[in-house]
Amino acid sequence: MVRLITHNLLACHAKDCNTNNFPLAFKDAQLEIREAEFNPEFLKGFLPKIEWTALVDTARQLGDTSLPLEQPEMLDDEFLKNLHHVLLEIHVEEGSMTCPNCGHVYPISNGIPNMLLAEHEIG
Amino acid sequence: MPQFLFHFAQAHNDFRLPELESIAELLGISLSWPSEFEYRDTARPFMILGLDQEEHARLLARRCILIKAVYEFYAQGSTYEELHGSNRRNQTLWKRYVENTSFRFLVTSSQHKIPQMRQREVIESFAYMGFLGKIDMKNPEIILTCFEEYDDRHGTTRAKHEGDGQFREVFFGRLLEEGSARQLIAKFDVKKRAYFGNTSMEAEISLLMANQTQASPGKLIYDPFIGTGSMSYPTSHFGAFVIGSDIDGRQMRGKQKTPGVIRAANQYGTAARIIDLATFDITRNPWRCGELFDSIVTDPPYGVRAGAKRLGRKKELPDYKKDLCLQHTLNGRPDDQPYIPPTKPYELSHLAADLVLLARYLLKPNGRLVFFLPTVTDEYEEVDIHTMLCEGMEVIANSLQDFGSWGRRLVTIKKTTQGKYSPPTFEPTREETARIPAHRDFREKYFQGFKPKADET
Repeated sequence: MVRLITHNLLACHAKDCNTNNFPLAFKDAQLEIREAEFNPEFLKGFLPKIEWTALVDTARQLGDTSLPLEQPEMLDDEFLKNLHHVLLEIHVEEGSMTCPNCGHVYPISNGIPNMLLAEHEIG
Repeated sequence: MPQFLFHFAQAHNDFRLPELESIAELLGISLSWPSEFEYRDTARPFMILGLDQEEHARLLARRCILIKAVYEFYAQGSTYEELHGSNRRNQTLWKRYVENTSFRFLVTSSQHKIPQMRQREVIESFAYMGFLGKIDMKNPEIILTCFEEYDDRHGTTRAKHEGDGQFREVFFGRLLEEGSARQLIAKFDVKKRAYFGNTSMEAEISLLMANQTQASPGKLIYDPFIGTGSMSYPTSHFGAFVIGSDIDGRQMRGKQKTPGVIRAANQYGTAARIIDLATFDITRNPWRCGELFDSIVTDPPYGVRAGAKRLGRKKELPDYKKDLCLQHTLNGRPDDQPYIPPTKPYELSHLAADLVLLARYLLKPNGRLVFFLPTVTDEYEEVDIHTMLCEGMEVIANSLQDFGSWGRRLVTIKKTTQGKYSPPTFEPTREETARIPAHRDFREKYFQGFKPKADET
């Protein structure tokens, strides 16, 4: 859990933290790889929602270099398989995610991130 | 258009047509409803529907929870004379089975038991069809069924076979397929689930909710009040990917290392489709952008077994106390328990209206929001549902599960707009309409037994 697909959709939402609040940086990440079913139609449909640079950078930080720096125009099978692996099969089970702007730390335990804000962080 | 006889379970009648419509739309099947109102009455167990082809009836029977069986329709009548007359006129439909098809003939009924003697008489009255094939009780090639429909006499005492033959109508057809989706009710039985809680949704209703979301492979579905995950199991079973969140992580986690929701999903073989679970308050949500999900399905807490909460304090603290709290949070000692932020109650009518706004932001165009709304039976009016709508969101189904003095409505709302919207602010600043919806302060009303307050009488 905390797959990179989800990580790519989460931004820091503390009060007044509106710029440079994405992507959250993994720290002390414990990874697990679990197989997921390959659905190319889903991947193609989801691609426009992805922040590509954030995904590639995060994958590289976690040790996966299979994705190209630039999002390719041609979606061949090999690319989709790599994308599938990065988005859906890498799970961050323990560790934390830190906001690059305000420094809020979102802890992850047993694969579930705690995205709650403290009292002084809500408007 | 060929006609098909549908036999429905006599349960959750109000959910029947929305389920059929949702699944027909999902599978690209065009349905034609009976033209007379009498035949669209969902209190009756049978309905004759027009479909382009036999295969469509089979597909519906494999997915709709409320379908018991589907038949190729041959005849109907309020007497056997009428039935046989109509059956003779439709001879072209069954002629091909006359020569050499093994068959079995069943005479049955709803809400009644027909004596064996008369069952035999009925079978013999079909002798004019002249079927030459062998009668095979075990593995027949076709099963012909004759149904007598009796009015529901539930709760009355009566002699055995009383009123036999006084049926409302009789139907006749060839069995195509038994509704196999009904077996899922036993599969998803909460009592047999590896992980559940006191707020878990019963299997049949959660399956009906999953069908309202049109869950299918490649779709992404979000449950913002996931709790013990009741809706994630049937939706992932139908192939969809699921993401869930909740303000209180304990319900998702349970007490073991592997989160409870994942353990239950493992039991159903769908854990890989539960994309992620996260703890946060939907009014302070971390979604980076909108238009992410194909459907949002949820059973919001309405305050009877669990109350809805949002971040904040019921009573604002004075500034000096706020400052003390902040200092305490920033300079935590290593042996401190993990910080748990304060929460305040989230009133149901505000939650419902916020949920619709959030769904408009997070759903893709044509996406669906499916959720339960409890209402007080005596106070409910249809306009209550409309008090929570916003531009671009339309109610397409509203089915009541009646518990007497209160009930809950499964509301399906479709995002009909292509427009872009900014995330909702969740501020209770919106204009109060003149009418107070029947779900406002539901918790208080429930615990007062739905009686007016003493000072109002």
